[in-house]
Amino acid sequence: MPDILITLSEVFMRTYEGFLKAALVTLKITAIAIVLGTVFGIVFALMKISRSKILQTIANLYITLIRGTPLIVQIMFLYYGITSIVVLSNFWAGAIALGVHNGAYIAEVFRGAIQGVDRGQREASLALGMNRSQAMRRIIFPQALRRAIPPLGNQFIITLKDSSLVYVIGVTELFGLANREAASSFLPFETFLVVGMYYLVLVLIFTGLLKLYENKLNVDKS
Amino acid sequence: MIKTTNLHKSFGDLEVLKGIDIDINPGEVVVLVGVSGSGKSTLLRCLNFLEKAQEGDILIDGRKIDRKKDDLSNVRAEVGMVFQHFNLFPHKTVLENIMEAPLIVKKADKEKAKQLALALLDKVGLSDKADVYPNKLSGGQKQRVAIARALAMEPKALLFDEPTSALDPELVGEVLQVMKELADEGMTMVVVTHEMKFAKEVADRIIMLDEGRIIEDADPDTFFNRSTNERTRQFLEMVDL
Repeated sequence: MPDILITLSEVFMRTYEGFLKAALVTLKITAIAIVLGTVFGIVFALMKISRSKILQTIANLYITLIRGTPLIVQIMFLYYGITSIVVLSNFWAGAIALGVHNGAYIAEVFRGAIQGVDRGQREASLALGMNRSQAMRRIIFPQALRRAIPPLGNQFIITLKDSSLVYVIGVTELFGLANREAASSFLPFETFLVVGMYYLVLVLIFTGLLKLYENKLNVDKS
Repeated sequence: MIKTTNLHKSFGDLEVLKGIDIDINPGEVVVLVGVSGSGKSTLLRCLNFLEKAQEGDILIDGRKIDRKKDDLSNVRAEVGMVFQHFNLFPHKTVLENIMEAPLIVKKADKEKAKQLALALLDKVGLSDKADVYPNKLSGGQKQRVAIARALAMEPKALLFDEPTSALDPELVGEVLQVMKELADEGMTMVVVTHEMKFAKEVADRIIMLDEGRIIEDADPDTFFNRSTNERTRQFLEMVDL
C-alpha cells in the first residue's frame, strides 16, 4: 500500500470518533439553520409579494443586507452582537446566524416559486369565493412548494457546507475539529482530505433524501 | 340579477370599457360577442371583480356592491366562473377540486361536500374520474370538471369566459352540451364565446360589444337575421356560422 494511504487510514482510525461527534454537531447546526431559514424565507417571501410597501421594504432591506455581505462577517457580527445582549452558546449563535443568512436566499426561492404558479390558479381560487390567504394556503403555496423543492435542496446543501464557517466562533463541528487535528498532528493534507470525505458523504446522503422526496411528490401527482 | 350601470374600465391609458349598462335577469342566458379587444372578457371579469372597474356600479340581486366595504369573496362565492384554460388545481384530484371551495369557503360538512361533488360529477358525466388528477384528463373533461367545481358553490349565476376556445374541435361539443343542460335547468349564465351555433340555439339574448361599448342587445333571431347594425353584420360575415 502506498504511504499516503497508510497515513490516511491511520488519520482516519485515530480521528473517527471525534469526527463522528463533530459530524453530529454539523448536522444539528445545519438542521436548525434549515428550519430557521425556511421560516424566515417563507415570511420574507410573503412580505416581498405583499401589497404593503412597508413590508416589501423591510424584506428587500433584509435580503440586500444578507446577500451583500459575507457569511463569515454575519456570523461574527451576530455572535458578538447577540452575546453582548443575551447569554447564548456559540453553537446557538452560529446556528441562528446561519439560519438568518439562509433565510434571505430561501426567501428568493419561495418568491420565485410563488410567482411562478400560473395566475389562473389564483383567479380560480378567488372566483370560487376564497379570500387571498385561503388561496395562498390551499392552492398557490402547495404548488409553489413543489417548484421550490429542487432549488431548496440546493440551498440546503449549501447550508450544510457553509456550516463549516461557524468554526470561527469556536464551535467544534467538522471543520473546527479538522483545523485542530491538522495543527496538532502536523498532517494537514491528510486531515483535510479526511474531513472533506465526511462532508462529501453527508452531502450525498442529503442529495439522496431530496431525490426520494421529489420522487414521492411526483408519484403523488400522477 | 346582475346589473351594471355606466361601467368604465381602463388598463393604463387604454380604456377597454366605455360605459356599459347591462341588466341580466334570473334564468337568462346572455351571450357576449365581439371581435377580440372589444372588451367582452374584461366585462365578464368585472362582473365578479377579478377586474375592478374604475367607474360605475355593479348590482347583484338589486344590491349595489361596494368594493371597499363589501367582502368581495362573498360576492364571488355567489357568482361562479369558468375559465378558458380551466384552471383546475393540479395538486388535487378531480373530487378534491370540486370539494375544495365548499369545504374551505362554506365550511361545509365533509361528507355532504363529497356527496354533492359526486352528484355534480355524475351530472357532467365524469363519475369514473373522481380520483384521478387533472393532468390525466382531456381538455373537454377538464372543462366539465371546472363547471362542476363552479356549481359546487351553488352559485346564483355562472360566468363563462371562452369556455371552449382552448379545446380541440372534437371536444367542444361535450362542454357545450353540459352548458346547454344548465341553461335548460334555468341557470343564469353570461357566456363569452365564439360558438355562434351555441349562441343561436341557447342564448336568450346576445350582446355585441365593439370598442368598449354595447352596440347591440337583441334576441338571437333578431341578432343573426335582422340586425340593421353595420358592425354586427360585418362581424357575422367574419365568424363561422
